[in-house]
Formats: sequence, structure tokens, C-alpha cells
Amino acid sequence: MSGVIYCDQAATSFPKPPAVIEAVTRALTEFSASPGRSAHRMSLAASRTVFEAREAVAELFSVDDSSQIAWTLNVTQALNLALTGLLQEGDHVLTTSFEHNSVMRPLSWLARTRRVEVEVIPVPPSGQVDPAEFSRRLTGRTKLAVVNHASNVVGTICPLQEVKAALGGVPLLVDAAQSAGALCLDPIEEMADILAFTGHKALLGPTGTGGLWVRPGLTIKPLVRGGTGSRSEFEEQPEFMPDALEAGTPNTHGLAGLAAGVRYILDTGIETIRRHELELTEKFLDGLSQIKGLQLYGPSDPHLRTAVVSVNLAGWSPSDLALTLDREFDILTRAGLHCAPRAHRTLGAFPEGAVRFSFGFFNTTEEIEAVLTALDLLSRRRT
Amino acid sequence: MPREVLVYIFSSIHQVLRAEKVLQKADLPFDLIPVPKEVNPDCGLALEVEPDWADEVTAALAAAGLVIEVVYRRRGRDFHQLPQP
Repeated sequence: MSGVIYCDQAATSFPKPPAVIEAVTRALTEFSASPGRSAHRMSLAASRTVFEAREAVAELFSVDDSSQIAWTLNVTQALNLALTGLLQEGDHVLTTSFEHNSVMRPLSWLARTRRVEVEVIPVPPSGQVDPAEFSRRLTGRTKLAVVNHASNVVGTICPLQEVKAALGGVPLLVDAAQSAGALCLDPIEEMADILAFTGHKALLGPTGTGGLWVRPGLTIKPLVRGGTGSRSEFEEQPEFMPDALEAGTPNTHGLAGLAAGVRYILDTGIETIRRHELELTEKFLDGLSQIKGLQLYGPSDPHLRTAVVSVNLAGWSPSDLALTLDREFDILTRAGLHCAPRAHRTLGAFPEGAVRFSFGFFNTTEEIEAVLTALDLLSRRRT
Repeated sequence: MPREVLVYIFSSIHQVLRAEKVLQKADLPFDLIPVPKEVNPDCGLALEVEPDWADEVTAALAAAGLVIEVVYRRRGRDFHQLPQP
């Protein structure tokens, strides 16, 4: 869709690099067969596509063994796989008040059905996590800690290395929905034991792609069981990765696009991407500080956050503001609670929520200026 | 009389494709074939290697940390399992 200023990158990135579109089209037209099953040339091409996508993601995350990456449909499925595959009856799990419902809902279900004790560490409105809070709460039953790398509401970046160090060997599950492709994940072994990611946000791939990286030596029970193309003589799921956590035909066409998106990031350099997004965020935060009646959530220092900025404007409900930005200014944002009600409670923005602007590598400084001009104009007009 | 080849079996498609990448980089000759059903009911893939290249192929795979599950010497439909490389 042309002629719009797309500021909803935290939901799904747009536009995609042309190579992504070409890769999906090529997969659909040239080798739309099942990977890892048959051995004919089209199936082989599909298998290689899935393999190369795994290798590309492994390279981006600096993972030595790409077989430790299992595909899922999205980060939500990856998080569900990790949480339900690790937590058992009576286990204790640590998390924070800034998590997405893709963490909180499976945890609530586990609390109800497996009597898992879920301890939610309160985080201040800045979204800044204190690693010492984790070590303070460890018990003999603590099986896991789960945090996001970057908040989907205010973009605050979590000091993963410090949190992991504070856990004293208790595995850390990282929700990298907002950071994979936007922030450096190297060295991954010092930042996470398990990392859940999605392909359709900063990794620039299509929807329906995502995955879970699992540190070698950690075993997770699968979420689904079924055909893998391997060990077909047995009616039990294989125990080796990635087959242990993957069953059924994967999204080959989507993964072809994801591989191209990740290759684009590798060619561009994650530092270049971060620098550009930081520049946009800095400019946006500067401009917001000049707008009357504007409430900014999260840290004012752009270095502490990704290019995700939530605001409210005096006199406007978040939904009216987002609608007006769309209809009158062609600016696309996301209003509401962003599937993180607890974070919005902490921010004092519950139940109406806020308007979230999220930028990506393809947004420009001119677009930021246009958004600021629109907000300034609307700040003088009350609904 | 059918020619003699070696058939390398791996634990998963992922490992076969890793092996393919390693051998392509090392410029060593091989072929990807369906796993012969005489020795393995899997719907997966295997590597077929000429006996003359076996030592170099095995060394390249080992250097890359690849675990070969089993190697067969094949002549037509006759398979003979070799000791672990």
C-alpha cells in the first residue's frame, strides 16, 4: 500500500525488501513441494530452502548449530512451546509485569492447570528491569525465568546478560519478538538459554514464520507431535533437534521469504539498522517534547529503547487519535493495550491504552517530521 | 555387475543437508539419494559416495562435527554395513 506512513512496525514490518517478495514468489512457482519428505528435486529444493533459512537465522544470532532452531508459526507459538514444554506441576517461574499476553496467558493457564507458581516481578513505568530482583526471588523450585528483550509497549531494552547472570543457572527464556533483527543478539549464550522469535517483524519476513532457539543440552517437550520425515518406522516423536519440536509440513514459502529477510539484515548489518532506528527514535522523542499535552511513556533516552514509542494526547482517546491519524494523515499506528494489559496498568494507561508508533529500517526522517507535524496540529484540536 | 558405492546415513534431513553444504564447500563429489528402503524405512535422504573418495568425505564430515549414523557398502540391492568410521 503506497502513500501511507507506516508506523506499526512492532506489529508487522512493512515494506518487505524486494528480495523477500521474490523469494516467496520463487518458492511458490518453482518448488512448491514438501520439504524433508520426498527425495525428488522439487522436494529437495524445498528442503534446502528450509535448511538455508535455519542457517541464516543461526548466523544472525551467532548460533553455531542451526539444528537447535525449531520453526514455529510465530513467537506466540514458540513461547507456548517453551513454557508448556518446560514447566511442570509445582514449578516456580519468574517473569515481569511488562510481558505480553503471549507470555502471561500461557503462564496463567499453567498456574491453573499444573499449579505452576508464577511470580511477577513489578517493573517501574520506565520498563527498566532490575536484575537483582531475579536473584532475590530464586527458590529451589525455580525452573525458569521469562522476560522480553524489548517491551512491545515502550521499547525498553532489558539487560539480558545481567538478568541471566543473576539467575545462577536457572534457564532464561527470552521473548525476542521486538528485538530479533533490531538489536544485536551476540553472544546469545550469555543472553538466553531459550530464545523465541518471530519472522514477520524486524526479521522482515512474511507472517506465519517464527521459531525457538534452544541451548544445546536443554530438552523441551514438543507442543505438537507428528510427521517429520525422519524415524518414520517409529510411532514416537524423534528426540533430536530440530525434528523433536517440529511436526507437520512447515511454511516453506514463508521461510524462503524469511531467509531473504535475514540475508538482507546480514548484508546491511544489524549495527547500521540499529543506528538508523535510533536516529529516528531520537528525532521523534525530541519532537514529541515540543508538543503540548503529550504524555510520553517509557524512557526519554532513546538508547534505552527500541524504535517503539507509546503516547497519549490530552483531549484525545487513543482510538480516536489513531483513527484520525489514519483517515486524515495516512499515518498508521496501533491504539489500545497492545496485548500487554499489565504494562499499561503500570504506565497508568489502563484500560484505554495508548497510541503506539513503531518505526523500522525503511522509515525515514521525513516521515518522522510528518508524524510530528500531524501530532502538533491535533494537539491544538480537541475532539 | 552393478558398481560399488558407499551410502552414508544420517539421523535427520538437517544433518544430510549440513553434509551437503560441507562437501560442496570442500569440492568433494557425492550424490544425494533417497534413503534405500532395503536398509532404512525413512522417507529421508542419504549421501552416495564413490569408494575412492570415501576417506576424504568421511574426514571432511568429521571435521565439521557431523555424526554419520551408519555407512553401507552397496552393490545393486546388496548392502553391507561398514564399521563406524
